[in-house]
Amino acid sequence: MEHEPQRDNRAPEPLTGVAAWLFRALLPIAERDEVLEDLAAERAQRAATQGRLSARFWLWRQLFGSLPALVRRAWWRGWTGFEPTANRLNYGGFAMETWIMDLRFSARRLVNRPVYTLLAVLTLALGVGGTAAIFSIVRALLLDPLPVEREEQVGVLWMDGSWTEQEFLHFRPDFPGFQRMAAYMHGDQTLEVDRQPLRMVRGISASAELFDVLGARPFIGRTFQKGEDVVGAAPVAVLSHGLWQELGGDPSIFGRQLRLGGESRTVVGVMPPGFWFPSPTIRVWTAARLKPDDQDGNWTLIGRIEEGRTIEGMAGPLRAFASELKQRFTYLPDWDKTRAPAIRSLRDYIVGDVRTGLFATLGAMGAILLIACVNVAALMLGQVSSRSTELAVRSALGAARRRLVQQLVCESLLLGLLAAIAGAAVATAAFRTLLRVLPLGTLADAARVDWTLFAAAIGFALLAALLVAVVPAGALWRSRLQGSLATARTSGLSSRGGRLEGGLVVAQIALAVLLVAGAGLLLRSVANLRSVDIGIRVDSVAVIDATMPVQLSSDERLRAVLDILPALEALPGVRAVAAALKLPLRGSGHNFGIGIVGKPDLEKSTTAFRTVTVNYLAAMGIKVVRGRGFIPTDRLSTSRVVVVNEALAAKYFPGEDPIGRVLQTFDDRGERIIGVVANVAEQDLTDGPVPARYMLYEHVPIFVPATSFVLAGQRPEDVPRLLDSGRQVIQREGRALAIERTLSMASIFEDAVGVPGRVAVLLSLLAGLAMALGAVGVYGVISHSVTRRKRDYGIRLALGLPPRRVASHVLGRGLRLVGLGSLIGIGAALMLTRLLATLLYGVRATDPQVLAGAVMTLVIAGIVACFIPAWRASRTNLMSVLRDE
Amino acid sequence: MNSAKAPEMGGLGSFEEQVMLAVIRTGADAYGMSVRRELERVTRRSVTIGSVYITLDRLEAKGLVTSKRTAAGTDSPSRRVFSVTSAGAKALSETRAARDRLWDGINLQPFLREV
Repeated sequence: MEHEPQRDNRAPEPLTGVAAWLFRALLPIAERDEVLEDLAAERAQRAATQGRLSARFWLWRQLFGSLPALVRRAWWRGWTGFEPTANRLNYGGFAMETWIMDLRFSARRLVNRPVYTLLAVLTLALGVGGTAAIFSIVRALLLDPLPVEREEQVGVLWMDGSWTEQEFLHFRPDFPGFQRMAAYMHGDQTLEVDRQPLRMVRGISASAELFDVLGARPFIGRTFQKGEDVVGAAPVAVLSHGLWQELGGDPSIFGRQLRLGGESRTVVGVMPPGFWFPSPTIRVWTAARLKPDDQDGNWTLIGRIEEGRTIEGMAGPLRAFASELKQRFTYLPDWDKTRAPAIRSLRDYIVGDVRTGLFATLGAMGAILLIACVNVAALMLGQVSSRSTELAVRSALGAARRRLVQQLVCESLLLGLLAAIAGAAVATAAFRTLLRVLPLGTLADAARVDWTLFAAAIGFALLAALLVAVVPAGALWRSRLQGSLATARTSGLSSRGGRLEGGLVVAQIALAVLLVAGAGLLLRSVANLRSVDIGIRVDSVAVIDATMPVQLSSDERLRAVLDILPALEALPGVRAVAAALKLPLRGSGHNFGIGIVGKPDLEKSTTAFRTVTVNYLAAMGIKVVRGRGFIPTDRLSTSRVVVVNEALAAKYFPGEDPIGRVLQTFDDRGERIIGVVANVAEQDLTDGPVPARYMLYEHVPIFVPATSFVLAGQRPEDVPRLLDSGRQVIQREGRALAIERTLSMASIFEDAVGVPGRVAVLLSLLAGLAMALGAVGVYGVISHSVTRRKRDYGIRLALGLPPRRVASHVLGRGLRLVGLGSLIGIGAALMLTRLLATLLYGVRATDPQVLAGAVMTLVIAGIVACFIPAWRASRTNLMSVLRDE
Repeated sequence: MNSAKAPEMGGLGSFEEQVMLAVIRTGADAYGMSVRRELERVTRRSVTIGSVYITLDRLEAKGLVTSKRTAAGTDSPSRRVFSVTSAGAKALSETRAARDRLWDGINLQPFLREV
């Protein structure tokens, strides 16, 4: 029954090449030689009887046919641990077998230690999730290419927002060093669509070259052409993809008319999805109307530099440009543009301001991830040294050190995988929180949750897992495994392992103290900012920002505002309704020069100027301290009246009574002061009282096509309802009004608190995380040290030591770790918190109360973390300890 | 590392049965390659070495075959040779009996005529 191949006297040609390599890789070591020889022999026999080609074909069929079965076999061997007796002396084979075995073993270990597993996974997940979230944001905003062709060739000139049409048009044919230059400025538009309320669309007004400078091609139609941006040209507009879709997504929109800003514009193109400039919220680009003699300076110049040049190498051409400017135009010394010519790369211009904040957050999250890794590494170290007997036995039975380390790495990778899943969930939540909390402005729209977030989570988790395994694996590699068998009976402690763990936890505590101190400083600053007396009611005031078509005349704007007020006043629950051109806490601007009848030698100066309606002071809760506020009859009277604040009275009428005096703003007729009100934070929160005056809408020309409506309710809970009904009223009856946004005075106040507030939230989150992680670390170390000293404690308790002495000994060890960490942390805080100086208000960077508070917080966390191990130690039963041995 | 588990009673898979029969047919020198050759010769179908080995491994894990290592010769390597155990023989005869019961009373003529 046997069919041996015909024996050739010569040995058959051995297998070589890919076939041999694959078979060698997949077969168990014990079987490799025999199978390869047999395959070679049969191939030789087939070559002799059927030809070389047929023999080779047979061999490859064997290979490919066997691959799935051999891989399955390796998996099955790993999973079941099967090793035939015949191969025992020469075991091993495809590496996958041992990996699968080790993964199963590690999984069993993790399931049998739920507390350790949960602690390790959650710790890693927190670090991984936070880092993945901020990394995703950084990638989207700082690393992803802008929707601009070869962005490194595009730059923005200095004095952005201050160039005049005259300057731009003069140099338009030839800007030194640039291929092409474009000008743009903000140009939000009202959009009228049939049977829909008037709406506001963010946009910019641009010269015809803008899209050429950006190198952007349209999705439908075209971009601007030469000649479309001068006075007299037919008005045209280019839409964003998003706006086009909102309007129906009709591909035949090219050439249609759209009523933008009160006039008909022809839509000439639609930009592709994903294109944005200069911020993701801009949805329409309108061609400007440039006038060669216009001297209003509102334009930003953006240009593509000549081929072969770099942004850094533009100093020469810019100096040439500046000197030509100086020759052609004259500038007052205070507003001399030619002084410091400079250019910023487009990326720097768009994201430069947020770059530091983003990188700082990335750094902080990276530190958190590091802490988490350190924590889990310490936990694993603890596991390794409590397994030292088991590992010594394995090593004595023949396990190679490499194999033991491989098992450790498997456990670590499993933890990493679980942490990746949990971390992805944490990352999604963290992403949304970070977007809200970071000062990103409109850029936040460019960042979205997408698959890269989860890929980042998995990537960081695996990296963390490998990092985590390094220290315990190193300890395992170096340790004298056999030696620990000898000392097991006498419960010798591997003191080196204990010191390493302790050192890792001290480092964590130090980092945690640093972050808690930083958070504490910022929280105090924010509290100080919040307690600034701003002079207005904040809690139950709703605000609706609205805008009008730019074509309206001053009278039409006045009517648009005044006519809607009665309908708003009729809303239920409204205490008072008013309108103003500019509300408090919204930065500087709207400053007008002041003249005073009877003070002809007054130095030229300006004060804040606010155009308001008659109920404004009541609606905002501004106190009248002398004289009176506005009354309805003031509106109709031909003699103008003005209300001033205490700061203005103090500055311009020191020691006098300002009531009845006449100010001059627009003409010699002037306006009479009728009252003095308390100071209000008209500009920024921290500015201190600035002189300000208030006049009625009816008495001043309305310069801007925007206004803010203020609806004061009875209670803070009224605000959402007021916004809703106010919005409906304006949409229904305000035919010339488009709502820009609805918000509350409370959120304007929060915005005014600004960056310190947001960073405070962020830092507090990080500090909370660091503290939790630090506590976990302390728990891990102390718990493990208690386990190792079980015998000691059992003996001492049996000999009569009071349990609370044992507990306090354990607590003492924990507090020593916390104390050492706090000391280092305080040192770091004293050096590093001055980096926060620009964000602090009313508190020093080295405030001792805050630092002491940080230490106390960590001490309390440490005590809480040590509580269970200490209690466990004090309850050690010597009999059960001896039995366990 | 565990090798043999308690032998399973009852039906063998079709390929398992074929491999065990080929081991018996090959006789004393039943190593992987020779079993494969015998199987190929008798069934007249191409058989890959990988499928033979995985089946032999599983059979050994179930205790239905056993393997041992021969000493290396002057011109042949040490080989793992297989033989059927008594539990394996029992499983084979039970499988055959079950198959015979299924075949009992079957007349294939009506189906063959249609072709």
